[in-house]
Amino acid sequence: MSTSTDPTATTGAAGALEAVKVYGEGDTEVRALDGVSVSFDRGRFTAIMGPSGSGKSTLMHCLAGLDRLSSGRVFIGDTFLDELNDARLTELRRDKVGFVFQAFNLIPTLSAAENITLPMDLAGRKPDQGWMDQIIGIVGLADRLSHRPSELSGGQQQRVAVARALASRPEIVFADEPTGNLDSRSGQEVLGFMRYAVSDLGQTIVMVTHDPNAAAYADRVVFLADGRIVDQMDQPNAERIIDSMKRLGS
Amino acid sequence: MFRIALKDLFARKRRLVTTGIAVVLGIAFLTGTQLLSVTLSDSIKSLVGDVYSGFDSVVRSPRTQETPFGQPIRTLVPDSLVDEVAGVDGVRAAAGVVESPGPQVVGDDGKVLGGGFGPPTLVYNWIDDDALRIGVLRDGRAPGADTEVVIDFRTAETLGKQLGDQVDIATTQDGVRAYTLVGISGLGDDGSQSTGARPLLFTTAEAQRLVNQPDQFNYVVAGATDGETQDQLAGRLSQALPEWQVLTGAAFTAESQEQISQFVGILEIFVSVFGWVALFVAIFIIYNTFSIIITQRTRETALLRAVGATRRQVVVATLVEAVVVGLIAAVLGLLAGLALAALLLVLLSGFFTIASTTPGLTPGVVLLAVGIGVGVTVLSAVIPAIRSSKIPPVAAIGEVSLDRSGISTSRKVWGALLIIGGIALIGTGLAQVGPNPLFQVGGGAVAILISVAVILGPLLAAPVSRVLSAPFAAGGRVAGRLAGENAARSPKRTAATAAALTIGVTLVTLIAVVASSIKASADDAINQSVRADFVVATASLTSFGAIPPGSAEAIRDTPGVAEVSPVRFTLLRLLDPVGVAEASSTPTTTVPAGQLGAPPDAPVGQDDFALGIDPATWFDVVDAGELQGSPADLVAGTMAVDRKYASDRGWRLGDRIPVYFVATGVQQIEVAVIYDQPLGQAGIWLPLSTFEPNTLPLFNVDNQIFVTTEPGADTAQVQRDLDARFADLPTVQVQDLQEYVESQTGPINVFLGIVYGLLGLAIVIALIGIANTLSLSVLERTRELGLLRAVGMTQRQLKRTIRIEAGIIAIFGTLMGLVIGILFAIALTVAIAADNPGVLQFRLPVVQLLVIVVVAAGAGVVAALLPARRAARMDVLEAVSST
Ligand SMILES: Nc1ncnc2c1ncn2[C@@H]1O[C@H](COP(=O)(O)OP(=O)(O)O)[C@@H](O)[C@H]1O
Ligand SMILES: [Mg+2]
Repeated sequence: MSTSTDPTATTGAAGALEAVKVYGEGDTEVRALDGVSVSFDRGRFTAIMGPSGSGKSTLMHCLAGLDRLSSGRVFIGDTFLDELNDARLTELRRDKVGFVFQAFNLIPTLSAAENITLPMDLAGRKPDQGWMDQIIGIVGLADRLSHRPSELSGGQQQRVAVARALASRPEIVFADEPTGNLDSRSGQEVLGFMRYAVSDLGQTIVMVTHDPNAAAYADRVVFLADGRIVDQMDQPNAERIIDSMKRLGS
Repeated sequence: MFRIALKDLFARKRRLVTTGIAVVLGIAFLTGTQLLSVTLSDSIKSLVGDVYSGFDSVVRSPRTQETPFGQPIRTLVPDSLVDEVAGVDGVRAAAGVVESPGPQVVGDDGKVLGGGFGPPTLVYNWIDDDALRIGVLRDGRAPGADTEVVIDFRTAETLGKQLGDQVDIATTQDGVRAYTLVGISGLGDDGSQSTGARPLLFTTAEAQRLVNQPDQFNYVVAGATDGETQDQLAGRLSQALPEWQVLTGAAFTAESQEQISQFVGILEIFVSVFGWVALFVAIFIIYNTFSIIITQRTRETALLRAVGATRRQVVVATLVEAVVVGLIAAVLGLLAGLALAALLLVLLSGFFTIASTTPGLTPGVVLLAVGIGVGVTVLSAVIPAIRSSKIPPVAAIGEVSLDRSGISTSRKVWGALLIIGGIALIGTGLAQVGPNPLFQVGGGAVAILISVAVILGPLLAAPVSRVLSAPFAAGGRVAGRLAGENAARSPKRTAATAAALTIGVTLVTLIAVVASSIKASADDAINQSVRADFVVATASLTSFGAIPPGSAEAIRDTPGVAEVSPVRFTLLRLLDPVGVAEASSTPTTTVPAGQLGAPPDAPVGQDDFALGIDPATWFDVVDAGELQGSPADLVAGTMAVDRKYASDRGWRLGDRIPVYFVATGVQQIEVAVIYDQPLGQAGIWLPLSTFEPNTLPLFNVDNQIFVTTEPGADTAQVQRDLDARFADLPTVQVQDLQEYVESQTGPINVFLGIVYGLLGLAIVIALIGIANTLSLSVLERTRELGLLRAVGMTQRQLKRTIRIEAGIIAIFGTLMGLVIGILFAIALTVAIAADNPGVLQFRLPVVQLLVIVVVAAGAGVVAALLPARRAARMDVLEAVSST
């Protein structure tokens, strides 16, 4: 099934059309994204997989408004990011996008609670208390809220990060290898929480990972190689993912 | 290892500049003043040499009185001495010289030329002998009548006057009087030079009349016959005239040069103090910068250690870096100092002839610059360097860590010792215990300021930052919250950054508080003790003695005026036991070689001011409080003394006190009245019957006239009448009591203006320090700032965060400075008040202090502009993915 001409592209929570990202010039030119068209459905958990250097992070950064494409378009909801200036893009990130990075997700000087409400505080909006309680309850951080990041374990920090990403009910949450730095148990806790956020809270999450076990939590896996989408899989499990990765020869 | 250090240094050029700039400014000030004063005193010396170049010998009175203005006052000589000198063998020609301040030149605008500031206007008599006259006649002729004058070319140019024009001169004798300009003079062989002073040459009779010394000269000069040396002539003269002092022309010139050098030297010390303050501030900034850099380089250093660098190599590498920064700063500072000196010389050359406006660079100054530049930088970097060598190799694999360590015990101990030591030093200094009180107070202040940076600051930084950020964080605003936390996160860094500002603010506060206390005290003293409604006073300090005789009588005739009482003032020397004991610390002018004859005859004693008053009217125009004795007792040979003054010295009513007057020598003056309430000027009041016979003509003129009005009189009308009476005398002002208070405290304002201006420099340097720290902090927090931007912080919010952080640091530093400054000021006023109760009361200049806080905080925000812009422009993605 071809994703490059998907006519429903603009109906997803977010997506890219013929996205090209070129780094460098001439001899040193690298086509990190080489015509990627992809759409992420609302209310689904999508994993992006691929070998190192295949363009996963680049795609995610461009989708999330952290970086700009060389050509092509990306959208979140009904907004095309290519048309926005820095200020509007910042607002969009603040209001419509949630982020979870591999590490350094939290502001060290703020408490866990403050980190969670940070995007809303930046927007000058009041957080929805019911929603906040719900999220905090699920991530199991109720008794850690006043702690600084340095007083939390790596797993707890990532859960705070996920809670922050979800706190403002964004259009979509992007996570770049959120469990990359965690031991497997902590990783599972974080993944379980993300799964729950999609299934039970109706959130949309896109996660970059190279761990088949992590990807297995997703509803759908998109495979990237050399800046192109080379395969995808619905309702994946770890074995099928590993098979597919072998087939793609990574 | 060196290569690594240097590569690192040049990779961060901007940091090099900001680190060094404080040193550059400090050195610029120090070397600039040195270069200036060297060139200046050379120029002035050569000019003074020109002034007296024709003198072979000077004969004068041995009797002098030291003054606070540098030059001593000397008793006059009678004109008969001229003939006695002329009669001595070897004398070719002799002349009496009148050389005195007094009259002022009045411009076309009716105001005193130069506003009464700057180089003096001096009256001379015309001397026919070309060698003995001061200056060369460039144009015209000698004054032949008492209505004619010769002035110097510079004054003529300023006035725009030609030969034959009328020149207005404000005189003591008959108000402003027009003299015909008959000649134009100048110094040097061709008359093209000027010392900046305005010499006015009159006929001898007119000159003597103008300065109130008929038939008297300031000294007599002699020219030698051919073949007679100065030494031979002086020897002969001192033998013939043993009761007079005789100097060779060379010695006389050397003495004048010495006096001027002393004055330039004081100026130099005054200005270089600010250079030292700048360097002191610089130490904190350099220390701070190196500390931050070294923390940020933890990983790099650890890696070096892991691959085999020894601890010593690590220390040396950092110190090499410091030496390079110091060297570069020293060279730049020296260049800036040269520019500064050249600029000032060009400005000054508008006032007097300067040999060259290019300051001469001496090896000494270069050494000073390099020594101080490198010394200060290396000294500041030593502690950070040692700390960097303690980084263990394993830190290479760890996460980059901020220095969030608490305050170590040794730091606490040192800090506490510094505070205690500082307080002890200041205490003993103020109590005048110990070898050098001034040095003790200064050292104590430095110790306390350092302890603030080392211990008090770090302890307070976190809580105070959070409190200060509260208003900005109210209502959940993140920028304020983050700014507060950022300032609080590394208290040592915040404290060290703020400390630089603290120093400047401490000094400004101290001076502002002391000045306002002095003003308030003067204000109170005058308001309490002066009953007069008006004071007729000279317009400026230098137009001293300019109220014409007879003015008091004239004022008395003005309708509505009740009482009129003139005041004079003079210097005298107290020879009572206290005075003799105090005198040991008074410096005496050096006696140059070539001085013969009678030695200086002034006995050892303590110099003080005294007022000359009219006892019949004085106690009606001032409220002197309760009196012991009666004004009627104030007859010739008596005085009135302030109660506190008297009791400090153990004087009682009826005691006879030995007092030295320059005009008459030692006199026994009886204490006839002891009054209760000081006027704030002088503790000793001499009735005119004591004052007049014992005082030189220069001082025997009214300095102020106190005027009271009749009850129910129209004071506004009286003031108009008085104004009209003195309308043609620009040197005299009619002041109401408020104006009088202001004129009495006015010089403080001038002094304050200069001090504020120069201390502004210390604050500017401190702000550079804040900018520097913030730049480094921003760099250090790249990842974090990237994250903030990623989750939706706008550029504006980010800038705001950094600006608030700067504001917090600045206010923190300012508040510490305010508190310490006020404490210092309290200590100082308490010490002064302990000696002189009622003389000085503590007064906080609230508005001024508020202005200082607002300005400092605002300036802190300005300092944040650049780092904030850099932070906001940072590429979000790069920041997020940086490690
Ligand atoms: N800032 C950059 N400059 C130059 N090349 C880059 C940059 N970022 C990524 N690349 C290149 O783009 C390609 C894709 O990188 P990335 O998206 O980070 O891959 P992944 O996350 O899948 O490992 C790689 O070849 C990488 O070297
Ligand atoms: Mg990646």
